[in-house]
Amino acid sequence: MQVKLLSARFDIPDAHKIEVAKEHGAYATLDKVFAMQPEEVIELVKASGLRGRGGAGFPTGLKWSFLPKNIDKPVYLAVNSDESEPATFKDRYILVRDPHMLIEGIIICCYAIKSQAAYIYIRGEYTTQVKALQAAIDEAYAAGYLGESIAGRDYKLDVTVHRGAGAYVCGEETALLESIEGRKGQPRSKPPFPAVEGLYGCPTIINNVQSIASLPFILANGPDAYKAYGTEKSPGTHLFGISGLVKKPGMYELPLGLPILEVIDKVAGGLRDGRTLKGVIPGGSSTPVLTPEEAQTVTLDYESMAAHKTMFGSGGIVVLDDTVDMVKLVENLIYFYHHESCGQCTPCREGLGWMLKIVKKIIRGEGTTADIDLLTELCDNIEMKTVCVLSAACTMSTRSYLNKFRHEFEAYVSGGASSQTAM
Amino acid sequence: MADKVKLFVNGQEVEVESGKNLIDAIGAVGIEIPHLCYHPALGADGNCRMCLVGIEDGRPPLVPACKTRAAEGMKVQLDTDKIKKIQRDIMELELINHPIDCPICDQAGECKLQDYYMKYDGQKSRMTVKPVLKAKKMDFGCGVVHDQERCVLCARCVRFTRLITKTGELGIVNRTDYARVNIFPGRPLANRYALNVVDLCPVGAMTSADFRFKQRSWFLTKSKGICRGCSKGCNIFIDHNREKYKDDVIYRFRPRLNEKVNGYFMCDAGRMTYKQENDNRLTVALLDGKETGLNEAVEALRRAVSQAKKIVCVISPNNSLEQMFAIQKFAANCNAAVSGYSDGYVIAGDGDDFLIQDDKSANRASFALLGIDASKAGFDAAVNGADLLICFQNDLSLSLTADALNALAGNCKLAYLGSNMDACAEKAAIALPVASATEDAGTLVNVDSILQQYAVAVVKNTPAFDMIHVVSQLGGEIKNCFEARAGLTAAVAALKGIDLEQVPGEGLALTVSEVPNVAA
Amino acid sequence: MSDRSQLIETGKPFAFDAQRDAEFERLAKRYPTRESLILPSLWLVQEQEGWISAEAMAYIADRIGTFATMVYEAATFYTMYNLQPKGKYHICVCRTLSCYLLGKQEIVDYLQRELGIKPGAVSADGQYSLEEVECLGHCGSAPVVQINGEFYEYMTVDKLKELLATLK
Repeated sequence: MQVKLLSARFDIPDAHKIEVAKEHGAYATLDKVFAMQPEEVIELVKASGLRGRGGAGFPTGLKWSFLPKNIDKPVYLAVNSDESEPATFKDRYILVRDPHMLIEGIIICCYAIKSQAAYIYIRGEYTTQVKALQAAIDEAYAAGYLGESIAGRDYKLDVTVHRGAGAYVCGEETALLESIEGRKGQPRSKPPFPAVEGLYGCPTIINNVQSIASLPFILANGPDAYKAYGTEKSPGTHLFGISGLVKKPGMYELPLGLPILEVIDKVAGGLRDGRTLKGVIPGGSSTPVLTPEEAQTVTLDYESMAAHKTMFGSGGIVVLDDTVDMVKLVENLIYFYHHESCGQCTPCREGLGWMLKIVKKIIRGEGTTADIDLLTELCDNIEMKTVCVLSAACTMSTRSYLNKFRHEFEAYVSGGASSQTAM
Repeated sequence: MADKVKLFVNGQEVEVESGKNLIDAIGAVGIEIPHLCYHPALGADGNCRMCLVGIEDGRPPLVPACKTRAAEGMKVQLDTDKIKKIQRDIMELELINHPIDCPICDQAGECKLQDYYMKYDGQKSRMTVKPVLKAKKMDFGCGVVHDQERCVLCARCVRFTRLITKTGELGIVNRTDYARVNIFPGRPLANRYALNVVDLCPVGAMTSADFRFKQRSWFLTKSKGICRGCSKGCNIFIDHNREKYKDDVIYRFRPRLNEKVNGYFMCDAGRMTYKQENDNRLTVALLDGKETGLNEAVEALRRAVSQAKKIVCVISPNNSLEQMFAIQKFAANCNAAVSGYSDGYVIAGDGDDFLIQDDKSANRASFALLGIDASKAGFDAAVNGADLLICFQNDLSLSLTADALNALAGNCKLAYLGSNMDACAEKAAIALPVASATEDAGTLVNVDSILQQYAVAVVKNTPAFDMIHVVSQLGGEIKNCFEARAGLTAAVAALKGIDLEQVPGEGLALTVSEVPNVAA
Repeated sequence: MSDRSQLIETGKPFAFDAQRDAEFERLAKRYPTRESLILPSLWLVQEQEGWISAEAMAYIADRIGTFATMVYEAATFYTMYNLQPKGKYHICVCRTLSCYLLGKQEIVDYLQRELGIKPGAVSADGQYSLEEVECLGHCGSAPVVQINGEFYEYMTVDKLKELLATLK
């Protein structure tokens, strides 16, 4: 099931070093790229069907084509390496094991969008990863792939690493821009969209690390080679992160479109012995949970997830077995989103804390059925009333547990839930 | 005139100004869209979410009105169940961590949370868990007291210090429901407009140390006025109240919107000038410092006028245009010299590029209209050999050294008509009380040649006569403000064609060329 | 999240050392606005001192030419900035989702007992500080602990015991 498009160099010793990476094909696409017109590169990426791998799945080439034509302002690329949605841990493999694939992708993208400055926004928690990335960038500068003249051509590109410092919301693209500009990571109202008015008020493209890192393969092998993997609407491969209560958790590169349960069984080693499946979080903590019954028919692609009223998200799959107390899991999730609310919009700022206190009250055994109903209603009252979707990330997921596992909440209300499950 | 667009609000067609956001555009035709964070002077922030409105057939169907421009044919929904529920839900969320301490909150009665609760919420609290606790009674400097728990994090105050004063003393620190407004340690509010954050705050989070706990807002009469703290002439509300068995007292000045003069704001110093109206008043006539009956004192001054060989009338740059005119006429009748000498009212270099002016008087521009000389040379020539000096509200102690003033008072008889017991009043042989600025009506011309008027706001239990009346008692021909205005339009070229009884609320801009072009 | 707005004043002026000064000036060339230097500068302070005092924030603000509240906002918003001194070994335990499912609580409980401190506190001898943090992005090797920036994956109480023995 596993394939190696993006992860081709992951297992090669020292592939993070430029000479080793180059021996195995790094930067080989640049001659081809610079022989093309920027618009041709955009068309080629559009043709590949590559969709943004940060979570929203927006077609990458299409995003680039939203840049205004004939502008007299600089264009910026911001690479989103915030990767902070719980259960997501794919981009860091690229940063550590094959950072030159990312840098090559950045050169391709910047050439296509006519940008001379890229900022890689990396989450502050990635301490060792930022060192690896910076070392690779320093190598690329020394080797002439970055800086005043890229690979001897009349083309300038600076890549700057900008470290976050512990704020999930900075994965939201406009919060990320605010953070680069030195402010709190508080998302901006849209419109204007970043492609028109982004970083420093200039047109800006924001792409996820994996999206950018997919470009060298697409440029080297053509869009059809990329589309040979995956489904029609979800072409290509993805670095799936499988975690939770399975035997072999980890990061696996797979084509899109595989059945989720088969992947859990065959790739991630299946459930621990003696356990039964209780639920699957399909694409990061914010995506609505699937019951085992629902999971039967789910495949790992955007359209199947949408058909099952959940989301592909970041491809971070979390497996929940029968030991999991769904009420406490919800507490853990709401705690996270409350902790990470930027504090800007009233519903999210005030509402998530209220939700957390209500769920804690339920767990303490002091809740009533009215509290469960209130929690459910608050999900509706908060959702989609805010500038960004952080609150929706919390409410969509919470609502799925309330709807699909309401009996567990009710058990707390009538007392004695903690004896029913192991955790 | 701005372009108009037609759009629909709740199905009703309305014509509004194009290019404005929905709150302002629809608000201008009398339809309220509730909002906390938006303020016309500070722009749209979009954080409160209270102004979410539906747009029928719109993409997206739900938008913040503060960030949405009025457009032709737009179908705005404010009264659908969905929008009403959103407004109720946002209010509920605003209030869960709010202390709801209205009984001890100065903002009560003029609080957006109260108003909106009554209008858009009205539900019982469902908050059964502990609220977030934050700091209270924080001294932010400049007389601003902050209560973090009452705050709705609309960031108006923060934006004011960053966008308007560009001093940036305030910030919102932390995130999630721990977010709160604070100053940086050791760097409190330090700008001359800081108290505007009290007015800007839609709730009771920012209060004025000066006003706190003095009055409930609903007892205050809110009269219109013009600040006389400097020559800008900021439009103000004079908030005053006559408590039972007490006198009419002013509790605060607040800025009143005038786009042509001061916008939404005023300076702190101007705001505090209300104290001069309450305190240290000259309430009785004085003869050689001894309290005396008003008629007796007026009679004494009339006698002095008739006996004097050379009289000088010293006009104040704070006198109204009408007062100046009446005094001028009076002076002409008794062959008195006129001087507007008042250099002490000017603090060179004190002004800024926003509202504050060097000239701390309100009506110096009228000197030019009426040809009143304010030079020191002119003053010196006038007082040379004079035996009666009548100061009309002009506190010469500001412009002369104590020695010079004493010498002057020794050489001639010093009379004073004024509302405050200032240094000049103390030295005067005859001091007559007159109504103060807020107790009188009149016309002022500000530093930008904008003519503005004010009406009587405060009526004391024992009202003092207005200046023109007292001047007429001394023998002046102008009997009242009305006569002065009629005379002014006839006599002053720059005022030709202007009906001083019909001056619009936002004032009248006198063209620059007219002002100096005045017959004396 | 807790209230992070209470800053500590050292009573002593702060300045970058030569190395950080050079790095600051290098970065200044990379951004079109000075305010973009706020986050990098806070990191430089933390590298240099281990934590960020009120004086250091004021220094950054004045050096950049921005309001102190801009720096104050950023420092309190981003939770990785230490606003008080940490232990010689700063131990962060991931508390979110996959680490939660795989027993982060046992690890936290053990550390609390062993170090005698609650999350958020520093041991009396200044050796250790403990913190529960949100997702560290190592869900596939949960539970994960980060000590002075180094990741320790697939953590168990037994492995932690061995690890602690090496941290002296």
